[in-house]
Amino acid sequence: MSAGNESNAAIDEARAFRRFLRRAARNGSALTGGLVLLLVLLVALAAPLLAPYDPYAHDLSRRLLPPLFYPGHDPAHLLGTDGFGRDYLSRLIYGARVSLLIGISVMLISGLIGTVLGLLAGYFGGRIDQVIMFVINTRLALPVFLVAMAVVVVLGASLWGTIITLGLFLWDRFAVVVRSATQQIASQDYVTAARSIGCSHRQILLGEILPNLMNAVVVVGTIEMAYAILLEAALSFLGFGVQEPTPSWGLMLAQARQYLFFDAWLLYIPGAALFLVVLCINLFGDGLRDLLGMGEDT
Amino acid sequence: MLPFVAKRLVSALLTLLLVSVLTFSLAHLAGDPAIAVAGREASAEDIERIRAYYGFDRPIVVQYLSWCAKAAVGDFGMSYHYQQAVSDMLVARLPITLSLGIAALAFALVLSLPLGVLAAIRRGSLIDRLCLFLAVVGQAMPTFWLALLMIVYFSLTLQWLPVSGNSSWLNFVMPTIALGYFATPALMRLTRAGMIDALESDYVRTAWAKGLRPFTVLFRHALRNVMIPIVSVSAVQLGAMLAGSIVVEQIFALQGIGWLGYDATVRSDLPVVQAITLIIAAFYVLLTLAADLINAALDPRIRVT
Repeated sequence: MSAGNESNAAIDEARAFRRFLRRAARNGSALTGGLVLLLVLLVALAAPLLAPYDPYAHDLSRRLLPPLFYPGHDPAHLLGTDGFGRDYLSRLIYGARVSLLIGISVMLISGLIGTVLGLLAGYFGGRIDQVIMFVINTRLALPVFLVAMAVVVVLGASLWGTIITLGLFLWDRFAVVVRSATQQIASQDYVTAARSIGCSHRQILLGEILPNLMNAVVVVGTIEMAYAILLEAALSFLGFGVQEPTPSWGLMLAQARQYLFFDAWLLYIPGAALFLVVLCINLFGDGLRDLLGMGEDT
Repeated sequence: MLPFVAKRLVSALLTLLLVSVLTFSLAHLAGDPAIAVAGREASAEDIERIRAYYGFDRPIVVQYLSWCAKAAVGDFGMSYHYQQAVSDMLVARLPITLSLGIAALAFALVLSLPLGVLAAIRRGSLIDRLCLFLAVVGQAMPTFWLALLMIVYFSLTLQWLPVSGNSSWLNFVMPTIALGYFATPALMRLTRAGMIDALESDYVRTAWAKGLRPFTVLFRHALRNVMIPIVSVSAVQLGAMLAGSIVVEQIFALQGIGWLGYDATVRSDLPVVQAITLIIAAFYVLLTLAADLINAALDPRIRVT
């Protein structure tokens, strides 16, 4: 390849990238979602620097102080304190860590399982495809929440128990999407060409097919991350997830339940944080899907 | 048609069989069931007696086969905690969860079908935006948070609806909305996208050209074809709602299958957990089987593959 061609290719690539950025900028909600998500991620990483108090420190003389938009609030505690007198803002900030850690780890574990299964089923077809489809159908038939509760009881309710349980359950959408995408890609000319010059299955799978799957995997990843965060919150809410005293938003909501009558704000704050994070992940994922030019069905 | 039906039936049966193996092994991973029944303070002889009484001393394969054979005829053993036949407990709880699931699906369809159709007809309008808003919010809304917010507003502040129990239909209003809203976004997007495709198709243009009334074109011609995917997604959603009703039933103390599943997991009441897992899986397999067969009957192309 001559030098001229190479610089042309570089210019084309730069143009394509700028087009991508322009489309991204037009897609306002996706951009907002992405930025807020980035902000939450930074807050979660810098939690020890940002949290005004120790999220575990009890102070029974300062229980249930209302947050700043309520009468009689204490300026020392912007979002008030919970039933043990712990600073609500600090617990909220540390709670972001738990939610994002769960969302990202579960997405990675289930993404790995689902991508491998989908890739093998879509590429080899035949008997292998039948067996993997059977496994996928069985997984879909299992009631996730009930079985997750039971598995958590077996593994012991903890942060990592929850992550492993959800990671072992949420791979179905990855597998289904990767399988059909692989089937499409495997019939393309460049895959046939690679096979005809004697590339091994491993080379074709990793070198030709996998790179072309990444768009689909990333989009499904955002969906599963949001789902994992919601499931963890629900599990923790019922007592089958993250345990006291770790600050998890679902757990904070469970504790807010006993104060519904007089201190309903305890319910509003962690719930709104949960809603906002999941909303931003979804908006970001929807935007990615538009940008990468994928249909509604992924 | 017959080979297709036979193939689907065999795969449905195999799926259920694998689910039963998984369900059974999960219960035995949880530790010695004899100790779970006897409690922590039980003496060694008590545990031995319980082991012999429940048959835990038999080889694991024998235990599985006998459990399976009994489950196939609806006998799921005795609850460890309540000392009652599990099947009787399920029969007592099932109507509550089924009514909740069907009401929630009806709520979701009543909300998503008209709105999805209107959004497709008037793309970019206020109603289209409202649809998008409802779908986006619904996808991010944690069901249990929505349920608690409704309790704060409708039960505690306005005092319109009872907080918990299952004595009257009023108890089902908030659980239905909480569970139904969860299924709404998928159904609404599907209706809208399907209607947009249908409205751009040739047969709808022909229908307009024939001078048919708008109502006939929209509902008899366009919506009818959109219904095929909606039927399959509704079936899957109903299955998901039966399984997802655990949180909602727990919050509103609606004592259905989901509440029982929560209670049994808390108490490590394994026969009950196994039975509920198997029943929900069987429901899901039956619903998807039914959806596949209905679609194959409606669309001959599906039968070939």
